[in-house]
Amino acid sequence: MSDSPKGPRVILEEPAPRLDFQWEQAVVPVAVPAPRARWSGLGRVAAGAAVLGLGLAALDAANFVVDQFGRGPVQGWATLGVVGVGFGLLAGGAWRELRSLAALRAVDRARVAFARQDLETARAEALRWAGGVAEAASLQPALRQAGSTEELRALLEGGPLRLLDAEAAGLGRVAAVQAFSITAISPSPGLDALVFAWRGVRLVRQVAALHGLRPGLAGTFALLRRTLFDAATVAATDVAVDAAARALLSNKLLEQFAGEAAAGAVAARRMLRLARVAAEACRIVPPLR
Amino acid sequence: MPADPFGLLRDLAEMPERGLRNLIGQPRIRLAVTGLTRAGKTVFLTAMVANLLAAGRGRRTLPQLEQAAGGRLRGVRLVPSASEALPRFDVEAHLAALAADPPAWPGRTDDLSTLEVTLDLERGSSLGSLLGGLIGRRTVTLELLDYPGEWLLDLPMLDQDYAEWSAEALRRLRRAEASTAAHEFLAWAEALPAGTAADEALARRGHALYRDALRECRDRLGFRFLQPGRVLNPGPRGETPLLWFFPLPHPRGGGLAGLLAERHAAYVAAQRADFFEPFFRRFDRQVVLVDVLGALHAGQAAFEDTAEALAAIAGALRHGGGWLDWLTGAGISRIAFAATKADHVPARQRDALAALLGHLVAGPQGRAGEAGVPTSVHALASLRCTQDDVAMLDGRPVAAVRGLLLANGRSAKVYPGEIPLRPPEPGFWEHGFFEMPEFQPPRLDAAGGSGVPHLGLDALLAALIGDLL
Repeated sequence: MSDSPKGPRVILEEPAPRLDFQWEQAVVPVAVPAPRARWSGLGRVAAGAAVLGLGLAALDAANFVVDQFGRGPVQGWATLGVVGVGFGLLAGGAWRELRSLAALRAVDRARVAFARQDLETARAEALRWAGGVAEAASLQPALRQAGSTEELRALLEGGPLRLLDAEAAGLGRVAAVQAFSITAISPSPGLDALVFAWRGVRLVRQVAALHGLRPGLAGTFALLRRTLFDAATVAATDVAVDAAARALLSNKLLEQFAGEAAAGAVAARRMLRLARVAAEACRIVPPLR
Repeated sequence: MPADPFGLLRDLAEMPERGLRNLIGQPRIRLAVTGLTRAGKTVFLTAMVANLLAAGRGRRTLPQLEQAAGGRLRGVRLVPSASEALPRFDVEAHLAALAADPPAWPGRTDDLSTLEVTLDLERGSSLGSLLGGLIGRRTVTLELLDYPGEWLLDLPMLDQDYAEWSAEALRRLRRAEASTAAHEFLAWAEALPAGTAADEALARRGHALYRDALRECRDRLGFRFLQPGRVLNPGPRGETPLLWFFPLPHPRGGGLAGLLAERHAAYVAAQRADFFEPFFRRFDRQVVLVDVLGALHAGQAAFEDTAEALAAIAGALRHGGGWLDWLTGAGISRIAFAATKADHVPARQRDALAALLGHLVAGPQGRAGEAGVPTSVHALASLRCTQDDVAMLDGRPVAAVRGLLLANGRSAKVYPGEIPLRPPEPGFWEHGFFEMPEFQPPRLDAAGGSGVPHLGLDALLAALIGDLL
């Protein structure tokens, strides 16, 4: 080290092209193994409770059926039938809930694939989605041949998604008219809120069904969370418009003339917006930001 | 910063929101990027946001951060603007300028700007994963702020009255190197008798001389501990009468000293209300950027001045650990110190650069350690502009870096000298002042789709926010 030159130096050379680290090639995405899920303490407790609850109930039921067969074949078959139908309905309900959640997760997968420009996954998800939505069924050959995620996006945006947006807007208008009418004639603000909530949930489910999602209870909850989240973040520009509308409609003079109709107009406007945001939350293509 | 009862109330009011956000796995983290002027805050923020966005698109721009996230990073997005009163930090414009032909580095920051970035993460636990469809993914929102580095040096002023500040400012100006740049102001100020009457012409004259002395210290000598910050960088409103004060050898009493003390108090109050209280009162993570190489090459006095400035800033910040911080959840919970422009030294010297920074910030680091705050030290190039090379000097090969000079586009090999592992001995400074040339940024995608090349940014982010992911 003591042999090194004392101070810094600059050695000039000829002009040269800009440095190129080939960064775009160096950082191209690679398939990464799915992260392993960790079992948290709470997760183990919940899983244990579920195993005990369901397992013991099933064992209890099986023992009971065996006992009933001991009493006689008619009692045995009847008990087996009751147990089978009961557990079958429970399993069917759970299966439906899981499917509706899986459908929502598939939408997330598709969005992530589009955002990462992962053509193969995006194409597979788009084809799977198009298979379950009447408006998109005819698009499947074109989707198979798409050469980039931009092309896939253009195909989906230009065709089925545009139609679905229009249909969602139509559903929103129907809900808006209903919300306006009910709010204008309802006797109490509490009932207004109840009606609005019920109609809002129904609207979100209707819009989801348009996009091939048939949400159960858990799916509806998840969808509402997504819709509200999107309403809070994606439609930020709409906040200003909404605030302006509310300011206008809560103007003292206008209130004098419009009375309860002003509140009804706000409810209707919110319903229209809810339809738009719900459609946004259900699309398999992420919004361009 | 001194305890402020209203600030404490605000901290308490924020507690439920913070707790709830943490409970549902959607924390908001205020990341303070602190650095003295020209330390590279704007480039750091630009590179960080561009690389985070690219990582969200699956690009492997930040491998160590991805590893810290356990491969669960699913997307990164900029939070859309709502109704903020501050300008938005313009990542796109900075990237476009860096990628343009000819390229341009961001100019001196002269106003505040903010940006929020949200990281979407798959939930880690099995139960969380099962419920992920119901309760949504984990999100971590980073609140970022860019600001003029000069203003940060006003932080220590918040605890001083005019007399204390005058004594300190004059002490720094009277040091051998600084006094050559400030001799005109020092001679003028020392000639003023005690009890000089308040006169606007005198105040303006003194301010102009003081401002020129500070500029000279900053631009010619590489000094950083220069107050008040707005005299050097007045911001978008330009120079206002509030700034027309300067240190006096006889700072007590009425007359001119009284007028300057009034302006000093008003300035401190304005900086506290407009800058420090809203943005520096509470933050969760801190990255301290230091241009160690610049300070080293500017000479012993500039190097010591930088160390003193860093210690003064660190002394004025809250590091958590106190019972009030524990109660309100306020205070910094992680700090990363980074020696910027690490691409200006060859690879084998980067560890030395980090070690030297470690010595430079030993005081602030120790103080944070006592408060139980984990710290780390890094060598960082937010935007890598050079390649390692070998230069022949005095007939011997030495490790150097090669890049294109911003000024004329010529390729240049730069041997930065030996970087000492600890604050250098007096003999080290014999080579005199050396100004590292500015390099051109490498070829970049103006849209920033793949992020930007860097050195050590992923390790720094993993140390700073990896535990949150």
